Amino acid sequence: MTKTRAPGQNIFFIALVAVAIAFLAGFIISAISLVLLKGLPGLASSLASPEIQFAMKLSLSTSIISTLLCFAFALPAAYGLVRFDFPGKGVVNAVLNIPIALPPVVSGVALLLLFGTTALGNELAARGLKFVFTPQGIVVAQFFVNAPYMMTVLRSTFKDIDPRLEFVARTLGCSQLQSFLRVTLPLARNGLIAASVITWARALGEFGAVLMLCGATRFKTEVLPISLFLNMSTGELDLAMAAASILIIISLTSLFVFELLGASYKQFEISRVEI
Amino acid sequence: MLELKGINKQLGDFRLKDINLEINEGEYFVILGPTGTGKTVILEVIAGMYRPDSGEIYFKNQKISSLYPEQRGISFVYQDYALFPHLSVEENIIFGLKVQNISQESIKKSLQDMVTLLGIEHLLQRYPTTLSGGEQQRVAIARALITSPQILLLDEPLSALDPRTRQVFQEELQNIHAMLGTTTIHITHDFSEALALGDRIAVLQDGAIVQVGTPAEVFHHPSSCFVAEFVGAENILSGQCTDGVIKVGPGVDIHAVSPEQGEVNLTIRPEDIIISHQPLTCSAQNSLPGTLLKMYNQGPLFRITIDSGVILTALLSKQAVEEMALRPGQKVWATFKASAVHVF
Repeated sequence: MTKTRAPGQNIFFIALVAVAIAFLAGFIISAISLVLLKGLPGLASSLASPEIQFAMKLSLSTSIISTLLCFAFALPAAYGLVRFDFPGKGVVNAVLNIPIALPPVVSGVALLLLFGTTALGNELAARGLKFVFTPQGIVVAQFFVNAPYMMTVLRSTFKDIDPRLEFVARTLGCSQLQSFLRVTLPLARNGLIAASVITWARALGEFGAVLMLCGATRFKTEVLPISLFLNMSTGELDLAMAAASILIIISLTSLFVFELLGASYKQFEISRVEI
Repeated sequence: MLELKGINKQLGDFRLKDINLEINEGEYFVILGPTGTGKTVILEVIAGMYRPDSGEIYFKNQKISSLYPEQRGISFVYQDYALFPHLSVEENIIFGLKVQNISQESIKKSLQDMVTLLGIEHLLQRYPTTLSGGEQQRVAIARALITSPQILLLDEPLSALDPRTRQVFQEELQNIHAMLGTTTIHITHDFSEALALGDRIAVLQDGAIVQVGTPAEVFHHPSSCFVAEFVGAENILSGQCTDGVIKVGPGVDIHAVSPEQGEVNLTIRPEDIIISHQPLTCSAQNSLPGTLLKMYNQGPLFRITIDSGVILTALLSKQAVEEMALRPGQKVWATFKASAVHVF
């Protein structure tokens, strides 16, 4: 009898579980570490290359702008869908979730058609807003794919906050907006930060939709994933691995931040207790 | 002062049915009802969380049913207190004052008065999740009262507390009400709480109000068997009343002082029933023979049930039980005055 095994646990079942976990973890670590092993040594010199610098700058600017846009729309939408009841809410919910289920490539095609030669596309182009094969298009593609995702995260954040707290705030003299700003928003703080970080990381890595709407043009629509794709196709392995490594580092960091903050205010409550 | 006229509200499984109430200025009004009868919904409708489906609320003769919660001057304390978890006790209490543009100095003074009144000065820097139930309760009351509301709504304020704290806090609620005179509506399922605190009581059954009156009126003259049972009345019987004699069972007649005729209900308080081995010659008109069924020791008192054709419960002192050597199965007589029989 081993001392560590609790009574009633089958050794074969435990072994099966252990093998599954070990396989998955090993698979993920070996794949990622290979990229990092190839990418990290040449990272410094690759970072100095104008192409990677361009890709990083374009990635940063487009992802930050698209994340801010997602925030501006997803925050009120998520709040409204949690707090208010209205006819057709289920349908609206389903519609807003469509881009999460769609392959990003399909989202990109849809956007290409919408902004291509339709009345809307022509009208916007006439006003100087061209989204097809342009850097602005990258922002639009990232926004389309990520806004519903951010909304889903924020919805679970707001769901965890007791609506009666806002009501109590109102009986104490707050308007509806004040009670949102003074009670719900501070309680949602960690969820908001976590949602922003994870949305930003996803925007940075968005490939399919960007490729379809904006194409893959060096020094024009070359964000980091596009750069990785272009350099792999042309055999520039050092640059490709550098782009991949940067994306991995950013993803891992944001995953860590996301886990740390948690998406719920219950964790917020616990951190307060510890003070 | 506060009037509810024909309020109907359907909310999930809860339903308020044609609620009509009038609450006077400075009154401590208790709404009494079993759990799940929509008691909280009444308070939420009064405070403005929900609009009634029909009916109107008037405050000092002004219609307030369409006003926002923040325009009503009504403070709300939930059963679980609903303190803001991200704010310290101090920030929680002064929340309502900071929203209005009130000077720092007068906020400080109000805070000082309120924490002194509730004895929570030492808690100011703590966070709600670190407080005990009783402490959270005090903070929630302080937060509700600091804005000097016209009406204070308390939703089961004592039910989450342990029995000792509950007793202390019940007295505190009395003191606070005596000092500030804030019109208070208090919801509970506990009649003893209603009895101790309420100037008047409304009894709620299945979302409808079945009786309104002073605690004594509700206790002594319950409007129905439901109310009688709910307020802890015992010996609830019903029968046909003819000229002050009520036939409650085959061959069991009870004399009462009542002008009622026909089908009536009655209650007899257990402490009004005298037990003896022999029939008593006295002024009491009711003396029923019966068999002693069970005896429950309740500390200084014994609760005794007797089968006299109907089951009667009596309360006797331990000493009386010992001196009479009462045992289950004995033949005894249950005697009580006609005036001890409350007919309703």
